[in-house]
Amino acid sequence: MIGNDLVDLQQALKDSNWQRKGYLDKIYTPLEKKTILQCGNSTQMVWTLWSMKEAVYKIHSRKTGLRNFAPTSLVCTHINLHGDTNSGIVCIDTIDYYTITKIRDSYIHTLAATSPLAVSTIREVIYEYPLPLLDYKSTNPKCVSHHGRYLALIY
Amino acid sequence: MNKEELINRLKPIVSNYTQEKEALENISEDTDFIKDLKINSANLVDVILDVEEEFDIIIDNESMEKMLTVGASIEVIEDKIDKK
Repeated sequence: MIGNDLVDLQQALKDSNWQRKGYLDKIYTPLEKKTILQCGNSTQMVWTLWSMKEAVYKIHSRKTGLRNFAPTSLVCTHINLHGDTNSGIVCIDTIDYYTITKIRDSYIHTLAATSPLAVSTIREVIYEYPLPLLDYKSTNPKCVSHHGRYLALIY
Repeated sequence: MNKEELINRLKPIVSNYTQEKEALENISEDTDFIKDLKINSANLVDVILDVEEEFDIIIDNESMEKMLTVGASIEVIEDKIDKK
């Protein structure tokens, strides 16, 4: 199983104020919060960790058939930021999921899978709105994420 | 406070984070924040923080977990008000 999540940074800036009192504590563990606040680019780290959690939640909730809103139960570890790519593990209910996040000026896109090999072989296609005439569902993407100006499909 | 009053106080909060006017007008206990109101999950946190302020309560993570629908949120709010 694979999952993805894209954050349009312009949209996120418009919709969310992560500096709001109490905001980080509802989403992030104390250690994640520390990583965010110590990072040179905190906004980028806020949305990197968020998209990791979201991408993994999509796999985990499909697997368990359960929906909930418990972002702090998805714990990001092994954060390893190299240039514009971040790798990391997200652990939930003692299960580890592997993620790769691509950080661009205008968006952040995380790919997630149940093994390091599976995450490295995911193929991604990102479209910008307005979309070209296409029936993307007929291409059978394994997971879809849209936010703001972008649509991200993975195979 | 009865359920209807609670929904009436919840409605202006969620209206800040949804574009789905029809679903908002027909808001009921069954309304799902994400499926019906299409609230972005990052904004669900804002809904929770606004609810804490509006009702002067603290919502722990365990309670927040369930707050995906209006009905579930009302149960949490009632429970927290009772325990004040």
